[in-house]
Amino acid sequence: MIIRIARKELTDQLRDGRFRASALMVGALLLVSLGAGWTQVSSARAQLEAAEATARNHWESQGDKNPHSAAHYGVYAFKPRLPLSFVDQGVDPWTGTSVWLEAHRQNDFLMRPAQDASAAQRFGTLTAAGVLQQLVPLLIILLGFGALAGERERGTLRQVLASGVSRRDLMAGKAAGVAGALALLVVPAALLGSAALVLGSTATGSLLARAVVLAVVYLTYFGAFIGLALAISAWVPSSRTALVTLLSLWVVNGLVAPRAAVDLSGWLHPSPTAFEFSRQIEEGMANGVEGIRPPDRQAITNRLLQEYGVDSVEDLPVNLSGITLQASEEFGNAVYDHNYTELWDTFERQSRVHESLAVVAPLLAVRALSMGLAGTDIEQHRHFATAAETYRRDMMAAMNGDLAQNSRTGETYLAGDELWVSVPPLDYEAPTLAWVLGNRTVSMLMLGLWLLGALSAAVAGARRAEVGP
Amino acid sequence: MTIRTVFRNEMRLLAADRVLLSSLVLFVALFAYAIANGFAWVAKQEGTVAAVQAAEEERGAALAAELERIAAGGDPGSPFRDPRAANVLGGNLGARTVVLGPGPLASLSVGQSDLLPYYYDVSIYTNEQTFLQNGEVENPLNLMVGRFDLAFIIIYLLPLLVLALSYNVLSGEREQGTLALTLSQPVAVRDVVVAKLLFRALLVVGLALGGSLVGAAVWGGLGAPVRLALWCGAVVTYGLFWFGTAAWVNTLGRESSWNATVLVGAWLGLVVVLPAVGNIAAGILHPLPSRVEMINTAREASNESVNRRSELLARYLEDHPEMAGGVVDDVAGTAALSWAATEEVNRQVEGVAVRFDEQLSKQQALVSRYRLVSPALLAQSVLNDAAGSGDARFAHFEAQVRTFAEEWRGYFVPAILAGQVMTAEAAMGRPEFVYSEEELSVVLGRSAMPLAMLLTLALLAVVPAAIRLGRVRGGG
Repeated sequence: MIIRIARKELTDQLRDGRFRASALMVGALLLVSLGAGWTQVSSARAQLEAAEATARNHWESQGDKNPHSAAHYGVYAFKPRLPLSFVDQGVDPWTGTSVWLEAHRQNDFLMRPAQDASAAQRFGTLTAAGVLQQLVPLLIILLGFGALAGERERGTLRQVLASGVSRRDLMAGKAAGVAGALALLVVPAALLGSAALVLGSTATGSLLARAVVLAVVYLTYFGAFIGLALAISAWVPSSRTALVTLLSLWVVNGLVAPRAAVDLSGWLHPSPTAFEFSRQIEEGMANGVEGIRPPDRQAITNRLLQEYGVDSVEDLPVNLSGITLQASEEFGNAVYDHNYTELWDTFERQSRVHESLAVVAPLLAVRALSMGLAGTDIEQHRHFATAAETYRRDMMAAMNGDLAQNSRTGETYLAGDELWVSVPPLDYEAPTLAWVLGNRTVSMLMLGLWLLGALSAAVAGARRAEVGP
Repeated sequence: MTIRTVFRNEMRLLAADRVLLSSLVLFVALFAYAIANGFAWVAKQEGTVAAVQAAEEERGAALAAELERIAAGGDPGSPFRDPRAANVLGGNLGARTVVLGPGPLASLSVGQSDLLPYYYDVSIYTNEQTFLQNGEVENPLNLMVGRFDLAFIIIYLLPLLVLALSYNVLSGEREQGTLALTLSQPVAVRDVVVAKLLFRALLVVGLALGGSLVGAAVWGGLGAPVRLALWCGAVVTYGLFWFGTAAWVNTLGRESSWNATVLVGAWLGLVVVLPAVGNIAAGILHPLPSRVEMINTAREASNESVNRRSELLARYLEDHPEMAGGVVDDVAGTAALSWAATEEVNRQVEGVAVRFDEQLSKQQALVSRYRLVSPALLAQSVLNDAAGSGDARFAHFEAQVRTFAEEWRGYFVPAILAGQVMTAEAAMGRPEFVYSEEELSVVLGRSAMPLAMLLTLALLAVVPAAIRLGRVRGGG
């Protein structure tokens, strides 16, 4: 029986010109956004590879130098783009794309692509994620608002129920019909996207797992919206009221709540200004943090003289400068850790505010999950920034270690290519699926609750729906 | 007479309509939230500007004290911290902080001000790469979504209120059968519909203008009456566009639900979809060359520079004066050598920057062309410009910073190359930056085109609506 209702519902929808037009439109936008995203990510990846090679070449071929000069010269690290980011570019345009790894400083990421674009970008760029999060729900609303209210208005609801169909079956059939119509649109796009993913990149198991979970996330979201549309259609008196209510919810979901979350998160967890942040770091460098004091050159000298039993620094078997540089590097690391941890944590607390507001707007949960799985959320930006910083520290330790061990205090010392080549290139590994989902428990919970709540409301609505006007 | 009767009638209807009343109340609440956000944002920016300026004064005082100490026979400690050396004074020790304060109506529109840098330290090392530094420390997620300011309400939400109030302004009368009744009176349909729309327009646009005035007043925006008038002009024209569209759709003689669908579709297309499609088209048709090229060029230039070693050594010694003995024998002249290398790198980076900017201006030309088809994009550019939070004001600031950096170099570089000692007077008389705000005529001139285009779009809806309204007859 459910199948027959579903088939009837589907046929009705396919005959409806309004659905056909809007489905064609959404389908076209979905295809364009997938294609555009794919082109952009591919070219960005190619550019990154070239840039990495050039940067590495600069490092390796810098010629003979004092290791600490090389440390000042440093290298650039470039943020990689995961293949799945063609579905959801997330915060990538709004974060820097490269970072200079040099002595003494943990630099910020440079060059936000958004800074080069005009204010028009504030309207957002067409991405598959945007279409799936914003436009598909609208389509679901169009499909579902009249499901029960419309039948009731036409008087057919009484007839159907009189023929012995259970209310629950009726609702299930309606849901299946809406889902079927939607599937005609979404399934080909998903297949196309998967094909692009498999053909276009070295599809690893972890990437495929991310893609599968991504699909499940969006299906859950659509399921929640189908439930919501049917529930409202059953609960409210007329199809007109159902449409108005659903559209209002859509506006809150897609426009009002996401923006409101931005300012709310800033009120709740204020982040420092760039000026304050650099001040805090200067302050830490001057006076220490968490009880760690700036290194004392004289104390280190005395310790070394005592340790090696010599009277002057020239007699030390190690280069004092290498040792003190490393000590100040380690002190600087503590200062940076203290400040950056606080900053990143603030950002993540702000993200948590966005996620919590998913109580009123499921889009916020699905957006967080989608960015996470595409590898374009703040947490994964931080993950890369941390990896780059760890790499910088290892590199500085290698430079200072070479200076300390292979030269004497006061001596003019130049190291060569061997030392540069001995520092391996940055080999970044994206976090695992479990790590990504671990950050997104709030969103998963919210999305699950929405699905459950919407479906229960639909079932309850079917049970209590008035049969006639 | 007619207008007053219709207004009184509409007022009664409105007072009885719970849904409409509550959505109006909701809008007032949203306005209040947006005004509070705008206020907080400007307060934060003003606070930052004050802190940055205070820090600069502190630095200036420390510099003066140090100069006095040295004049009294004190030892500067190291040649790399000696304020009498031109490269040190013009470098980080005497650097000036240049600041762009929030725009005159910044509390109304955050615009680009959360993204673009509004303060820099200018020294002899200021170059194209300086402008690539990130602006404020801001959560990228918040940048991506954008802020809940008045401009957001006006651009996105106001049209929805307009449409909700007027999608059935004529069709509803016909469906209820009241149209025939009205027509039996000695009034023209056009007058009744216009009066109904006028009532709604006064309500909605009045709400928006009132909100804007309050929002501007909370942070001294009333002191910029011309900009405020420009802002209000954009709000009224944008409102006119949506009311005109609703009126026009009503005259097509279809039922209310059809009107609603078409109007919501138009809103979705013009406000949400079209700008997003335009942005992706701009990115594909005129992709920006990677900024990475600029970095790599700078590094290659510094590698190839004949004075590379000297420059690196000099920089090295600036950081580590205590090691001077161990690394080089001859410190004298490194400042001039270092400057030569810096200049060479700057020249090459500028070459890349010029190529980049050419491509960028192509992309922006495309953006400003497709802006013409979306009233939302047009409204956004006028509102941002009026508020002083648009791209243009930041570009204006950046251009002044560039000029100032040149002046700064002109002041110090000859002394660096000549190895001259800077006197205390020369140090205290180093160039100062004074931001000159954009001329109002420039702002108005820039907004004239988008505003005229917005008005044209509005008239394209209003005129046919008015013509068709004159022909409406009663009946079902």
